[in-house]
Amino acid sequence: MIRHPLAWCVWATAALAAAFIDRNPFLQALLLLIIINVFIPYSAARRIRIWKIGLALAAVPIIFSVALSRFGTHVLFTLPDIPIIGGRWTVDAAVFGASTGAALLLTVAVFAVLQTTVRSADLVAILPRPFYRAGTTVALALAFAPKTVASLHSIQEARRLRGQHAGWRSAPQLLLPLLLTTLERALQYGESLDARGFGSRRRSRYRPLPWSIADLLIVVGSLAAVAAIVLMPPQPYNPYLDLVPGVPTVPSLLAVLLLAMPALTAGLSRMDHAAHHA
Amino acid sequence: MPLITLEGVGYRYPEAERPALVDVSAAIEPGQVILLRGPSGSGKSTLLRCLNGLVPHSTGGEFRGRVLVCGLDTRAHAPRELGAHIGFVFQHPDAQFVLEDVEAELAFGMENLGLPLPLMRKRVEEVIDQVGINHLRRRRIDTLSGGERQRVAIAAALAVHPQALVLDEPTSQLDPQAAEDVLQVVMRLVAELGMTTVIAEHRVERIAPLVDRIWTLDFGVLKDQPPRAALAEGGARPPVVDLALRAGWSPIPLGLRDARVYAQRLPKPPPYPPPRAGEGKAHYPLPRAGEGKAHYPLPRAGEGKADYPLARAGEGKFHQGDFREAGAAPVLCRVENLEYRYNGVQAVRGVSLSVRRGQVTALMGRNGSGKTTLLKLIAGLLRPQRGTIQADARAAYVPQDADALLFASTVEEELRGQPPDVMAPFHAWLRRYPRDLSSGERQQLAIAVVAAHADLLLLDEPTRGLDPQVKQALSAFLRMRAAGGAAIVIATHDVEWAARTADRVLLMAEGEIYADGLPAAVLSDSLVFATQISKLVGGGLLLPNEVPV
Repeated sequence: MIRHPLAWCVWATAALAAAFIDRNPFLQALLLLIIINVFIPYSAARRIRIWKIGLALAAVPIIFSVALSRFGTHVLFTLPDIPIIGGRWTVDAAVFGASTGAALLLTVAVFAVLQTTVRSADLVAILPRPFYRAGTTVALALAFAPKTVASLHSIQEARRLRGQHAGWRSAPQLLLPLLLTTLERALQYGESLDARGFGSRRRSRYRPLPWSIADLLIVVGSLAAVAAIVLMPPQPYNPYLDLVPGVPTVPSLLAVLLLAMPALTAGLSRMDHAAHHA
Repeated sequence: MPLITLEGVGYRYPEAERPALVDVSAAIEPGQVILLRGPSGSGKSTLLRCLNGLVPHSTGGEFRGRVLVCGLDTRAHAPRELGAHIGFVFQHPDAQFVLEDVEAELAFGMENLGLPLPLMRKRVEEVIDQVGINHLRRRRIDTLSGGERQRVAIAAALAVHPQALVLDEPTSQLDPQAAEDVLQVVMRLVAELGMTTVIAEHRVERIAPLVDRIWTLDFGVLKDQPPRAALAEGGARPPVVDLALRAGWSPIPLGLRDARVYAQRLPKPPPYPPPRAGEGKAHYPLPRAGEGKAHYPLPRAGEGKADYPLARAGEGKFHQGDFREAGAAPVLCRVENLEYRYNGVQAVRGVSLSVRRGQVTALMGRNGSGKTTLLKLIAGLLRPQRGTIQADARAAYVPQDADALLFASTVEEELRGQPPDVMAPFHAWLRRYPRDLSSGERQQLAIAVVAAHADLLLLDEPTRGLDPQVKQALSAFLRMRAAGGAAIVIATHDVEWAARTADRVLLMAEGEIYADGLPAAVLSDSLVFATQISKLVGGGLLLPNEVPV
């Protein structure tokens, strides 16, 4: 079930294009279902805490939109004349926020799939030679993210031990030690890279990444989907004009369906070295 | 011809006042095992980093003399070129990995050398067997324990077939069992492959019998000696060497096996009385007032604390009364039927315990036995799900990673708001940046910041990574605080240090306390938690100075 990292990258680009160009709720729902289906075969590999972040992120535009926008004809209720939040609260604004939120949720979902299926080291390996060092730096920086969260927790605990509060207001004071810890670790990392001979001219691969039929199907499917989405008239949705979305056209449905290729080909296993190490 | 030659090496870090290394000259022959000793901050890491060119290439600074590694001058060759010759294992188990899983990590160095795939495959299999990590090969690095990571790091260093292995305190961040596993690997490589090895290590008792030379660093000055001469002179050394020097054994035994021959001449001590049969846990005699460690000499002024501000902080203040001589000391903290579970694991189950003033209690047990959780519960950092905790004083908890406590830009700022008697001993450091202090110095500062005035001190693995002098000073400080009426509970894996410091030992497993009593009783009746002397002599004798010779 290991797929070529480049195939995943093409798929992710196509899925992101679909998520941002088509704002039709039916298409968005279909795309979300497809992404979940693609993710399922890999879900055992990683805990899916990231979905929570996605949902939280999706809620933000709804709240902002409904609380701040005064447009729309379907009034929910009217607040007295309070600054910022006073006035008419409308369904239209809430739906508009939800539409933006859905696009954000889809983005998070695509990255969740990418993070689970592609190892950062493999991503670095497929970069062209000249970008090798830059790409590695980025990959290493990404690898630091979870460690940074861990040190944030330990710094917060340390502050509690010293009788300082660990609330929101202490955030600026947390930032400096966090930065220092991360920087120190980065320096140690750099030393380790150096000591292990990183950055020399020659380089070989311990795990070669051959292409399989499934990889090709995913790339072809994704490219076709992108082409269709870009060339066809977009399926816009503006709740302020009409709360009820239009029915998506058959070609646009088919285009989004093409993005299910990784799920459809999940059964094709690759009997080679890389699969053996999965 | 020597494999590595150092010729008049001097080095000064950028903007440092004094040099880190002063005119170091030495040579390493193929197959030699070198033990590098010295107090923290004496330049051990700096010297080791000279061997693969990290000093001066990645640190900058002022470098003098030259280092030849397999004929290559480190000034002209970058660390990444020397990486093919020197396998380097760093102190911190988590900062040296680049990729996500074990096998990829093992191959990383070889990929950088551009070795062909079939050769890489073969070597990966070989190092997996040499280091004994076949069960770890599919694991992700971030799921490994510290000891497992260090073994993977050794295997990764070994895979490039280096001419020498350089290890910078590889066990200082590990518990004793993990440290033992890592040292076992090193010893096997030395014995089976004749691997040229340079290792900085505080835990000398395991490797002392194996080494060819001992290098001792003091303020950047290197002394290169044969092992017996070096150990006889001082510094970190195994307890059996202390005993041998007291008893006048010659030649000095370096390990337990050599020492057994001499130990048979010692008068046989009577076996220590077995524990009473009780319910649940083994009841050993507990220290009564004036008993136990009361005969233990309290540190005299000026002893073992020359470089230890905290020990000076206690002076004068805590000498008013020795609670152990004042009859039964009052109970400071009482814990009853404590229960705590998280993530479905019962971390603490049914623990009842009272801690008295003047008592230093060592809490021992394997990793995951619930020691840290128990300390955090007593400190009030966790809320017990069942049971009660009554404490008559402010509790202070010093976590394992004391570094996390320090994040101001100067020592002075860290100590802001503390009373003058806490500040005073740190006078010389006030302008320094806390993270530039050595690990021992940071530990002292952390204790001062959190616990200088608390009466109930809870310390989690305070000796991890400390050199023997600082450990001794820490011991002196804690004894002094106890004499002044504090109650101290220390979660520790360090048996030798616990035997010197504590007057009560608790053993914990699966969240329960299963043994409780005087160190002599608990530690001499144990296979795992026994000091080297108690393994050698038995009969409740734990330390070299307790053995009649």
